[in-house]
Amino acid sequence: MNLADLISVVLQDGLWSGIAALGFAMLFNAPRRTLIACALIGAAGHALRAFLMEFGIQIEAATLVGATLVGFASVWHARRLQVPSPIFAICGAIPMVPGTFAYRAMIGFIQVTTSDITTAPPLLADAGINFVKTALILSAIAVGIAAPTLLFRRRKPVV
Amino acid sequence: MGIPSNTNRALAREDLIHDKPALDREVLRDVIDLALWAGQLLLQHGAETERVEETVHRLGTMLGAAWMDILVSPNAVVITTISGEEFRTKVRRVVNLGVNLNIVAEVNDLSYQVEMGKLDRLGVRRELTRIGVMPPLYNRWLVVFMVGLACAAFSRLFGGDWMVFAVTFAASAVAMFVRQELVRAFFNPLMVVIVTAFVAGVLASTATLFDLTPQTALASSVLLLVPGVHLINSVEDMIKGHMVTGVVRGVTGALISLCIALGMLLAMQLMGIPGL
Repeated sequence: MNLADLISVVLQDGLWSGIAALGFAMLFNAPRRTLIACALIGAAGHALRAFLMEFGIQIEAATLVGATLVGFASVWHARRLQVPSPIFAICGAIPMVPGTFAYRAMIGFIQVTTSDITTAPPLLADAGINFVKTALILSAIAVGIAAPTLLFRRRKPVV
Repeated sequence: MGIPSNTNRALAREDLIHDKPALDREVLRDVIDLALWAGQLLLQHGAETERVEETVHRLGTMLGAAWMDILVSPNAVVITTISGEEFRTKVRRVVNLGVNLNIVAEVNDLSYQVEMGKLDRLGVRRELTRIGVMPPLYNRWLVVFMVGLACAAFSRLFGGDWMVFAVTFAASAVAMFVRQELVRAFFNPLMVVIVTAFVAGVLASTATLFDLTPQTALASSVLLLVPGVHLINSVEDMIKGHMVTGVVRGVTGALISLCIALGMLLAMQLMGIPGL
């Protein structure tokens, strides 16, 4: 893939995931002054993930990097606009949430009811793969957006 | 996050308890009531457990209590507040009403103002009353439009063309409207998800009428239901050691995903769409 194609793929990815983040920010009733930053953070995180995946990096690892960007960008914008950082972190991470993997896993499990001993194993394996992918991508998102806290806000427990 | 850490928390608990003037029981009652109220608003509207604990602790100690012990459970907050030789405990039930980030922001701002000394107990009570009855920021039709657009944007991310984009937009916008109506009529939240996913699935399946493969439209039009906040908060809670709330949020998220799948499967059976 040449450079122009790569840039166009990443920019389109950023555009659509930014719109997705904006839509969900409004669904979640995010304050007006945070909307633009939510969209930008969502676009940047997902576009970074798409960029890394173009180089053959696994979706889980790419998600971790994208979500870490979302986490640090959220803290920066939270300081700037004086709002809690999870507003940006949640809206910015929404485009990366493995929604399709999650309900595909569930569809796989449900379809086992209409299968028999020979057709069940591939269905179960498919559901299992989707389930593990969902869990890993979610963990990557959570670790990524918690990265600023985990790395720079360590304290001795007081209670 | 985002707020300078409260340096007092680094001190030993005993130092704090003997440092502050003791409050009498009446004042202590007010403090615990206000702190619980703030905690309830946060937990109810999508804040993660660590933030609930921190905000409640900051609010309570800034209003004069020497120490706050907080237990956040998935559907209740328990606080014991200590001042001098006196302590009081109270439980407050929390119901799940869905994500509202504006309320999270307002409560956060409130605790910040208390920290700056701009609000006393009376002012906090007034602010919490105001926050509790705030109307939604965005017109419901605007939300319907934007959610439709967001799901349609997902269909582009999954490689759909402009026709798929249009079908997804229509399907998820109508589904969002149905969801709003069902939520307003106080149907069980899981039932709302099944019916909404069914509506989205049936409408997305009409893509076959335009000679399109309906799979992409189907997969993206139900994304408005995905319990993203539950699932992210679940893992984040568990990372930070709040296992009970983490597990419960994870199970809630899994149940919602199951209901999405059920609604979709019903729609696919009805419309004769083979698997995704």
